[in-house]
Amino acid sequence: MVSQSTIKKLVEKKASNLPERLREELFEKLIHYSGKYKLKKAEIEAIIDEVVQEYEQALVEPGEAVGTVTAQSIGEPSTQMTLNTFHYAGVAEINVTLGLPRIIEIVDARKNPSTPIMTVYLDEEHRYSSEKAREVAKRIEGTTLESLARSMTLDILNMEFVVDIDPERLEKSGLTMEKIQAKIERSFKSAEIETEGTTIIIRLKKAKNVSTLRRLADKVKKHRLKGLSGVGKTVIRKEGDEYAIYTEGSNFKQVLKVPGVDPRRTKTNNIHEIAQVLGIEAARNAIIEEIVNTMQEQGLEVDVRHIMLVADMMTLDGIVRPIGRHGIVGTKASVLARAAFEITVQHLLQAAERGELDPLNGVVENVLIGQPVPVGTGIVRLAMKLPIKKAVKEE
Amino acid sequence: MFRYTRFEKARIIGARALQIAMGAPVLINVPEGASPLDAAIVEFEKGIIPITVIRPS
Repeated sequence: MVSQSTIKKLVEKKASNLPERLREELFEKLIHYSGKYKLKKAEIEAIIDEVVQEYEQALVEPGEAVGTVTAQSIGEPSTQMTLNTFHYAGVAEINVTLGLPRIIEIVDARKNPSTPIMTVYLDEEHRYSSEKAREVAKRIEGTTLESLARSMTLDILNMEFVVDIDPERLEKSGLTMEKIQAKIERSFKSAEIETEGTTIIIRLKKAKNVSTLRRLADKVKKHRLKGLSGVGKTVIRKEGDEYAIYTEGSNFKQVLKVPGVDPRRTKTNNIHEIAQVLGIEAARNAIIEEIVNTMQEQGLEVDVRHIMLVADMMTLDGIVRPIGRHGIVGTKASVLARAAFEITVQHLLQAAERGELDPLNGVVENVLIGQPVPVGTGIVRLAMKLPIKKAVKEE
Repeated sequence: MFRYTRFEKARIIGARALQIAMGAPVLINVPEGASPLDAAIVEFEKGIIPITVIRPS
């Protein structure tokens, strides 16, 4: 049996070029297994050697064209997704953009994804009962008069807007008629509100024409009575032994403050929101996770390191930038590289105006002018020692 | 430990093979009938090629 401190020393000595995290993991596993199988010192040494060798095998050599490989590795599976373009699959009753459209959305860093969704996890207190989960969902779910109404009519004769509230939905939403009346009264000073049982009648204070009434009605219909802006329907789903809330629409900043929500696990699929609320590193992780999930959904597997490279490129400036003309390619240092991509003339003219210099450091510009590209063997610079030491006499 | 990447290895052997092909003396005994490339590979493995790489600092 080898003591812990010897293992520690061995790991420190033999695996010194491994990253901290890996070394720790190796150490922990070694302790676990040396206890289990009574490993000898030589065996432990052999294991460490093996690990170090595997690690070095997994490293990318300097000069490797990782970007090209990434493009191919993501591009090829993407061609298999194109057939499923605009395919929607329901998570419960919520629509989610999947497949190629979603990948494009992520890579283009769209400000508003077409189907924003939040996955809200709950704190210890609300996690385990569907009742309590519903309670939290009520706080989040955006409720408008429209969503509560059984019928809405614009009575032109009496210049009234009559809304018949569905009592069942009212009950579910946790609102009361009085509360609704107060809410609307506070937000619409020009309106006169009257409630009768489950009916709400809205009139203009000063009788005007029908179009004014119609405009008011439209506004009142859409007025948020409760919940977070941007959030629509919520669905409660059981995940393992706890309940989680899925929302249509996303308002990440606000949802984290809602009592009952576990802010540490709650997430959204809107990457810009994550960048804003949690910071750029979180956004990077979100990009990776979203792409991996979308790929997995389609039954495709891409090595995470390719996706990590994409996410790194998108976030390395501290803001989320799209890949393409307006993002990464557009901010390349080399004029020729930019001109080779899109809007050639404009870039060349602009560069000429500014007197830009191109040091020809990148790949694209060297391809363009017909030089070896600084990648792979092209990046190696040779030097020869002269004179050669006495040559071995032959003949 | 200093190790050449596979790109560096290719470039060094390539450059050396070219020299040998153009008539440079071989620095070590090579097997009969070896091509310049074979000779360069043998030299590289022995570590006697007088060429190294400049790595960006």
